[in-house]
Amino acid sequence: MTFTAYGIIMPTSLILGVAAGFIMHRAGFCMAGAFRDLFLFRQTFMLRQLLLLVVVSMIIFEAARLAGFLPLYPFPLLGPPTIASLAGGALFGVGMVLAGGCVVGTLYRVGAGSALSAVALIGLIVGSTLYGEIHPFWGAFARATILGKGRLTLPEEFGVDPLLPIALSVAGAAVPLYYWIHTGKLQRRSVARGYVQPWLAAVLLALTGLFSYLLVGMPLGITTAYTKLGASVEQFIAPSHFASLTFFKGLPLNYLYPLTQERLVGGPGPAFDAVAAVQYPLLLGLVLGGLLSAVLAREFRIYFRVPLRQYGSAFAGGLVMGLASRMTPGCNVWHVFGGLPILASQSLLFVLGLFPGAWLGGELLTRLIIRD
Amino acid sequence: MDSELITPQVMEFDIRGQICPATLLIALKELNRSKEQLHKGEVQLVFKTDNRDATITIPDAAENMGYAVSVQRVDDYYAIVVEQGH
Repeated sequence: MTFTAYGIIMPTSLILGVAAGFIMHRAGFCMAGAFRDLFLFRQTFMLRQLLLLVVVSMIIFEAARLAGFLPLYPFPLLGPPTIASLAGGALFGVGMVLAGGCVVGTLYRVGAGSALSAVALIGLIVGSTLYGEIHPFWGAFARATILGKGRLTLPEEFGVDPLLPIALSVAGAAVPLYYWIHTGKLQRRSVARGYVQPWLAAVLLALTGLFSYLLVGMPLGITTAYTKLGASVEQFIAPSHFASLTFFKGLPLNYLYPLTQERLVGGPGPAFDAVAAVQYPLLLGLVLGGLLSAVLAREFRIYFRVPLRQYGSAFAGGLVMGLASRMTPGCNVWHVFGGLPILASQSLLFVLGLFPGAWLGGELLTRLIIRD
Repeated sequence: MDSELITPQVMEFDIRGQICPATLLIALKELNRSKEQLHKGEVQLVFKTDNRDATITIPDAAENMGYAVSVQRVDDYYAIVVEQGH
């Protein structure tokens, strides 16, 4: 029996999506909250879990690389570090806080029945597609602001083997992690049905990232799929304008799939290509994972009666986040679960931008959205 | 009169459908608004939520403010009861 690339990739992405969506819903693994609550409530509980996730991923990705299982290293679709990634990260931070969840958090919450997240999802698709309008300008800005030698990862930038910088990063992070484990700061009590401790979720999510890297060829990523969905709609309702947009003709994904040696190509346009094969099943899986978790916990129920202002915030946040995910390019899951563990320069800049963005998002939210 | 004998008035807030951080911010606002009556044991605040995170964040915040908190599972949502600290 022979497998085709899509025959392996599509079921793998679907299963990993269901697993990740289920785990994140059960653990309340909210990355938007992790960055937002640092500023809004001086809480760092979820940021500690994210550090754990990155460190575990660093160890297992590096082990897989040394064992020869990662022929694509760095993985496809990463770009050089630019000021555009930093600005994109900041804008993304604003958007995810206003939307009440990141690009992945929005999906598992949609599955669990959140009407607000469904509105944020529509905003995400609109924002991702609107990027096509500013791409000629923004793409030129990104190319003009490449930092340093423009290499994809820090070890490449400095011309060293990844092992030493990765080992040093892990050792540095191990000190606070060891302290938190011993003082119980990675645990919390919850009466929520079927609660999964976030530290366990962090470890399991790191494993889903590894499986994706091994079987799909890259870590979990989702945002180009939002653009594809929007592009399909735009092509239908405004075909002549759509045809004039160069962004949707690009094919940034182009790699030799390691398991079958097939060349896979794809981009943000509406065609069913490699991006669709990788990301559509993942997107669907994340929604199904949230749905499955909520139904099994007997929590699935849709409540529409929410203050209108919050719907507005969810849509605006989704739109800004969608736009930012194309400006960066990439989303928080792509950069935190995938890029940071291999010290990708673009990912470091994106995450650096998330902090001021999340702060600004929190300020906007408390002043404009939630008030008397 | 001994405060233990007062039957607190129940104030209910239905914040189902709302997500973070709105759930916690609204709870904090209402806890502040009813601060004096809560301390005297005159009122009991009940927040109905379907946000799993709120079942952790609201009790944590209320306990830090010195109140007694319990979380009950009701059908497909949670009821967070905040009252005078013991």
